[in-house]
Amino acid sequence: MNKHINLLLLATENLLRHRAKTIVVCLCIIAILAPFITAIAISEGIRSQSQISVEEGADLYLTFDEFGRNAAIPLKYLDEIKKTFGVTKVVPRVIGRGFLQNKITVIVGIKKDDIPESISCVSGRIFENPNEVVVGYELANHFHLHAGDQFSMRGQQRKTFTVVGIFTSDSSIWGASMIFMSFKDAGELFGKQDVATDMQIYTLPGHNSEIATDLYDILQNEPYRIQDKHMVEVYFKKGFMLKEGVFSALYIVAFALGIPAILVASGFGLSERKKEIGIMKATGWNTLEVLELISFEQVLISLLGATIAIIVSILWVRVFNGIFLAQFFIAEISLLPQFTLPARFLPLPCFLSFFFAFILTMVGSVYSSWKASTIPPVISMK
Amino acid sequence: MIRTENLYKYYSSHVRHEVRAIQNINLNIPRSSFVVFNGPSGSGKTTLLNVVGTLDRPTEGRVFMYDEDITAFSDIALSRLRRGKIGFIFQDFHLIPRLSGWENVSYPLIPLGIDSKRRYERARELLEKVGLGDRLDHTPEELSGGQQQRVAIARALINNPEIIIADEPTSNIDEETSGLILEILRELKTRGVTILVATHDASFEKVADVIYTLKNGKLL
Repeated sequence: MNKHINLLLLATENLLRHRAKTIVVCLCIIAILAPFITAIAISEGIRSQSQISVEEGADLYLTFDEFGRNAAIPLKYLDEIKKTFGVTKVVPRVIGRGFLQNKITVIVGIKKDDIPESISCVSGRIFENPNEVVVGYELANHFHLHAGDQFSMRGQQRKTFTVVGIFTSDSSIWGASMIFMSFKDAGELFGKQDVATDMQIYTLPGHNSEIATDLYDILQNEPYRIQDKHMVEVYFKKGFMLKEGVFSALYIVAFALGIPAILVASGFGLSERKKEIGIMKATGWNTLEVLELISFEQVLISLLGATIAIIVSILWVRVFNGIFLAQFFIAEISLLPQFTLPARFLPLPCFLSFFFAFILTMVGSVYSSWKASTIPPVISMK
Repeated sequence: MIRTENLYKYYSSHVRHEVRAIQNINLNIPRSSFVVFNGPSGSGKTTLLNVVGTLDRPTEGRVFMYDEDITAFSDIALSRLRRGKIGFIFQDFHLIPRLSGWENVSYPLIPLGIDSKRRYERARELLEKVGLGDRLDHTPEELSGGQQQRVAIARALINNPEIIIADEPTSNIDEETSGLILEILRELKTRGVTILVATHDASFEKVADVIYTLKNGKLL
């Protein structure tokens, strides 16, 4: 045991003695791993929020279908759907997009009582009267909006809205650019009365297929589309991870460039190392002991590099809000997201990062060390 | 104690450019003897010591140490042999540049699991013996050639070896240090250590039990 402790201590001393090499290898590891860990964290954050949104949402989503896309559904079917056996609640919504100055926003028209529980006012109140709206925290921050302020949407100046509250949401992606208003106001804003963009249908457990059959009877002459939670989850992820593939492609290029950098950096001072290994062998060290020392050095440098990479990733997300990287995962956002970026740092990717760094540094050093320690010492010492 | 049979060492795998460093060397060196190998440069002294000292393998022939054919030893067995029985002193010292004097001396003890304090004590003891008690923390570049060679000697002695193999130990150092090294080797011999030295230094020949002369890789 003392032998292994000695080798571990010597490995630590070696890293400290070769500071320049240690720093260069660490920087290479950080440069490769930090974007990877950050990307995984953002991806996991989005996945988690989409999960929350779907779980808190309705069991079924009903829309009309036009040209293979979702289309508004007339409210005339609302009462009949409500009466369907197994349906506990139906929430018609108007969801659309509009510009507040130059910023795209999501407008949700909904009855006051149907606002999701995950939405809570941090100041002011929920809308009660016509033309009152509740604005998402990040959007309010961006435009410095407070309760009592008034605004109009770009291109729709005929309606002026009054901010009566600022809300936050468990799902920061959703809440970031959202404005809640009454169903009627949203209809007027988009010039579409008596229709909803979709109806959220809450059901008793196990009744979805029966309800789908009943809806077929109710809407038999109409082209409609019904989606359950699973389908919504898939669409949700697709929407937010639109450019994930672009990131993957760029990352693979960076990764391909980074690996040789680590290999070269790990091999810095190889001739000096080779000679040192020759001296070690001449003074009685055996090959396994030499390789154990080298492995300890790589474990330590990988731990150090991966740990710093994880810290950099946490700072990247928490302090710099995923700048430059978030846009690869969430469509239509700027380089610096204007909302709190969802991110989750799970143990497995962090462990994989360490393992990956270890493999890379080992590849860069162990083969040459093994080679140097298996040839006759007199050759290594030359 | 050390015996060689028809020992050959060739360099280069191309027959046309083959260098026959040593040829048909047959030695029989008894325990506690002081053996000197002399001969002109390129005569094969260093190669012979490297092969006998297990730092290199012969192309042909066999080396026996303690009546065991060490040419058949595995890499690990050879390391064990070097660790326990042999101390090397090289012409170029072969110290590790970034380590201090005591760290260089105690380096062979690290894989033995000896803790740092004991390694330091043992290294200090040996460095004091070679007159470098005040240079424990100096790195090789802070030491003169003679001082570096004395550090190397201390390192060679750290495992209490039974065989010392010294390749031109005084060629790069001053006369005073040469004398000191010779004294140390003589003292080791009196304690039963077998000494093999390749040298041009005539002072070594005066104390040698046996002198072998090599020319063109052959014993004369």
